[in-house]
Amino acid sequence: MAHPPAAHRAPYMRVFVFLVVLTVLEVLLAFVLAASPAKVPMLIALAIAKATLVAMYYMHLRFESRLLRAIAVFPLILSIVLALAPSFDVLARR
Amino acid sequence: MAHAVISEPHATPTWQGITTLKFAWWLFLASEVMFFAGLIAAYIVLRAGSPVWPIVSEVLNVPLVAGNTFILIVSSVTMVQAYAGIQAGNQSQLRNMLLATTALGIIFLGIQAFEWSALLREGETAQSSLFGATFYTLTGFHGLHVTGGVVGLVFVTLKAFRAGYTQAEHGGVELMGLYWHFVDVVWIILFTIVYLI
Amino acid sequence: MTTHTGTATHVTHDHPAAEKSFIQKYVFSIDHKVIGKQFLFSSLFFFVFGGLLAMLIRTQLAWPWQEIPGVGQFVYGNSGNILAPEAYPALVTMHGTIMIFFFIIPILSGAFGNFLIPLMIGAKDMAFPRLNLLSYWFMVPAFFIMLAGFFVEGGTAAAGWTSYVPLSALPDMVPGSGAGQTLWIVSLTLVGTSSLMGAINYITTVVMLRAKGMHMFRLPMTIWALFITAILVLMATPVLTSALILLFLDRTVGTHFFLPSGGGQVILWQHLFWFYSHPAVYIMILPAMGMASDIISCFARKPLFGYKPMVFSIMAIAGLGFIVWGHHMFQSGMNPVLGTVFMTSTMMIALPSAIKTFNWLATLWGGQLRLTAPMLNALAFVSTFVIGGLSGVFAAATPVDIFIHDTYWIVGHIHYVLFGGSLFGVFAAVQYWFPKMFGRMMSDRWGKVHFVLTFVAFNLVFFPMFILGAYGMPRRIADYTSYNFLAPLQSLNQFMTLSAYVLALSQLVLFGNFFYSLFRGQKAADNPWQANSLEWATSSPPPEHNFHAEPVVYHGPYEYSSPEVAEDWLPQNHALDGAGLKKTPTPAAATGAAAD
Repeated sequence: MAHPPAAHRAPYMRVFVFLVVLTVLEVLLAFVLAASPAKVPMLIALAIAKATLVAMYYMHLRFESRLLRAIAVFPLILSIVLALAPSFDVLARR
Repeated sequence: MAHAVISEPHATPTWQGITTLKFAWWLFLASEVMFFAGLIAAYIVLRAGSPVWPIVSEVLNVPLVAGNTFILIVSSVTMVQAYAGIQAGNQSQLRNMLLATTALGIIFLGIQAFEWSALLREGETAQSSLFGATFYTLTGFHGLHVTGGVVGLVFVTLKAFRAGYTQAEHGGVELMGLYWHFVDVVWIILFTIVYLI
Repeated sequence: MTTHTGTATHVTHDHPAAEKSFIQKYVFSIDHKVIGKQFLFSSLFFFVFGGLLAMLIRTQLAWPWQEIPGVGQFVYGNSGNILAPEAYPALVTMHGTIMIFFFIIPILSGAFGNFLIPLMIGAKDMAFPRLNLLSYWFMVPAFFIMLAGFFVEGGTAAAGWTSYVPLSALPDMVPGSGAGQTLWIVSLTLVGTSSLMGAINYITTVVMLRAKGMHMFRLPMTIWALFITAILVLMATPVLTSALILLFLDRTVGTHFFLPSGGGQVILWQHLFWFYSHPAVYIMILPAMGMASDIISCFARKPLFGYKPMVFSIMAIAGLGFIVWGHHMFQSGMNPVLGTVFMTSTMMIALPSAIKTFNWLATLWGGQLRLTAPMLNALAFVSTFVIGGLSGVFAAATPVDIFIHDTYWIVGHIHYVLFGGSLFGVFAAVQYWFPKMFGRMMSDRWGKVHFVLTFVAFNLVFFPMFILGAYGMPRRIADYTSYNFLAPLQSLNQFMTLSAYVLALSQLVLFGNFFYSLFRGQKAADNPWQANSLEWATSSPPPEHNFHAEPVVYHGPYEYSSPEVAEDWLPQNHALDGAGLKKTPTPAAATGAAAD
């Protein structure tokens, strides 16, 4: 069965450039911001940006149905809950 | 009562343009997200609750692994180019890009193995510290998933060389790609959390 | 077991069905109906096994350290014919583990999920029949590995079905934290894998393989419940797997994820474990809720009251179920602020549960009740679930839980929802769908005898647990009488144990009925209950590919007592305009306002 043809030219190489730039940025920031409190949120944000780019363009989610996007997003929400609640617990008890 | 013929057995059921196999594949990937979520949450909680934690850049070879991250990202690009190739009916692009992806995946594993052996020689084991335990578990399970991906890639590449995929029928390449990109996404998160933070 | 009724000589497969060997037909079958029955029989075996363990527990609680005549020598031969103190934790651990992972979850999801989903949605089989086969055969080694625990040094796991660390993480701690605990971990990992495969199959099948006209909001509640349950399984089980792996590493490789001596955290295990195990309790109740809705509607001859709210309530229960896990940890030393968050979310689950309860009651109200055995069991489900749920609301309040955590209040609560809820649901489902599965009827009279005995004995065993718990009797303690203030509870415990013996013996009635009917039951018609859902639109049992022709669906499954139809039922594959109707409606049916 034919898949819908890639009528839209997905910008694979442009995404690649972004990914490389973001990775370099991450490594530099990790070094520069070493002890700063801004480090963790910034790096997480960069990582999320990279992951989103791969998911949206390479995994084609940008052009897929809402159902597939929901299947991808739902576990991410649960994962955040799973990571945050016990972390809050342990940080507040230290 | 007239008997209607049961729907043609070889037609792949679809819904909103998605085949059953692709739909099920995404469900499988969603479950894998939860698996890594458990491990990553454990890492975050253990680290947040630890009064001391080694300075990661002093223990781990961040530049080397940053390079390895680049390699994995490139392999995602080659994978997506392989898929784009067969979507356009370009058999040679499919084959070459699949070969490249497989090779890059093997290189990634090789560098990871090298990193591990260096660490072990320095006495950093899963038993020696909580850092070691979490490091080896996280990268180890990711590595296992990459290995599974490489095995899959070998099969897909071989099939591509036997002209097993056409412009009309190449679902297997798409599924392989989805898995491979998933492994890349997990690594993007792991690299940041374990090596940079 | 026949694979078709033989009434149709016309085979509509595209290729002639090759003659299958016994192994292909009954052992390694890819037919969802066979796989469902495999799950059914293994689950029933473990029901008996888990129940016998419960009898041993109850005996100890009634007569601590006394030798049981006859049985004592057989079971406790190695420890001087009486229960050894270190064996009591093993008993409660294995009772819980077996009932949860080898009975309730497999029978609801594995047996009924497998058997019913393709039939009720009008499909030939599951989306991935071979994955389905694999999912059963991952359970088989799990069975043996779990049972092997009884034969290794130190015996089975004994850290509770909750396997709390550090006890479960240290192999040399006590007998029962040795090889038995490791085997427990491996077995559950296999069970989890089996569940995941099933979940992927069920979700895909329900979304992709519905018959023409079977819109999502025409699905019976049984299917909605099994579908949402499968989503819970898909999302929650991998977290248990990750926790089990970390525990395994701590035990075998020397890591310290959960051991404070190496920097690990004890509460981390609880967070990971309960993140799965709370959704697991909804995995254990939702299918029963769905089935109860269908059974009640059928035997009240009335449409299910509030179908869409019922669907959304199941979604709400499942969704909220992901953010309440901390209510198992109120006394763990967890941050009290987090505790309050969990208390709030837990209280909220009462809302959709109450909606469902009121809707069941409203379905019954004014109905033409047919009090068959399945109906009686479904009614018992509703009533005991209410008690179980209400007792849970007490536990959800953190200040109250300070007193009742780890007491018999909790044991009473869980058994009211799991036995009163899930198990009565199973009793109803088994008797309701037995004709479809096996082509024969069970005895309704003996079903009623079983029901009365079970319902009375059940309440006599488990209701006093709330009294015991409020009084302060802890759970998982082999001899509460060694505490002076609890010694007066012994007579009540003895009463409960005697009731438990009656409860256990009563199950012989069900098993007798089941197995006798399997071979000598009256042959069943296609639709002995005059029900509307699609599984009743084919023969009992169905042919190999379920339907001789792919069904077409015209409306939902709750068109009972419709004013537009002569009979008080209208199958989903029968339209109102006469297409496929068996009898023409008489003018008497056209009384009343035009139906919606």
